[in-house]
Amino acid sequence: MDLFSLYNRLLAPFAVFSEIKREPARSFAFALAAERRLLVVPRLEAVDALALRILELVNADPSLPPIDPPEAYALAFAKRAGYPLLTDNASPKLASLTLEELRGVEVLDSLDVLRLLYSGETLFKALKEFTEDTGVRFSARRLRELGVA
Amino acid sequence: MELLRRLFEERGLKVDWEAYRRLTAVLREELEWARELRRKEADWSYIESRPEPLRTALKLLVEVGDLKLASRLCSIPLDELNEERVKAKIPLVVVGLKDSGAFATNAER
Repeated sequence: MDLFSLYNRLLAPFAVFSEIKREPARSFAFALAAERRLLVVPRLEAVDALALRILELVNADPSLPPIDPPEAYALAFAKRAGYPLLTDNASPKLASLTLEELRGVEVLDSLDVLRLLYSGETLFKALKEFTEDTGVRFSARRLRELGVA
Repeated sequence: MELLRRLFEERGLKVDWEAYRRLTAVLREELEWARELRRKEADWSYIESRPEPLRTALKLLVEVGDLKLASRLCSIPLDELNEERVKAKIPLVVVGLKDSGAFATNAER
């Protein structure tokens, strides 16, 4: 929940929100929505065109991690709204760093967020806890850069 | 890369090809490292004990590391496959894009 010390609210496109189907994630997401800390963004035609283009272009190289329609929509919405996008998929970050049309979109993964939240020993503990809770592991190269591997 | 370049140009999109080449080279290395990590850490006896199509979905996940893709291709709900992933000890690996220095967040470019 420390995430809310970085951002007042989270926005999830409807297509992303509707992927949460099982407990306890579902109840957790609904509770956040009830508290207005999570807003569900309806589908907007103005975002659709860019989302479709992102989908086609990012997936043009099949040897790289693909992007799916909900995530492409989230990236397009982030661009249009000027918000950061939180995702652990490397492809949206690659797209934002190389495609002129997406320039300026800030794409952050879990490690970027943890690094913004904590430092030093607290960061080390948070990384350990996060890995134990989620089964998510981070690039050894990046951990070495942080001095925690 | 030439095919991609043509495709993007036909759509009138500008790409920083030098950054693309550099970042994808790092990404491919990172993806290979992540694949090896998943192969090493996965509980193969658990994976082999699962019924189809779960068994194949978990094997696919070890190879490609993409939970959503494995879920879609094998028609298994995302949350269910993720629970199985945890039981099978298959890590989800967050890779990096930069070859050195700071992290590749756009804010830091």
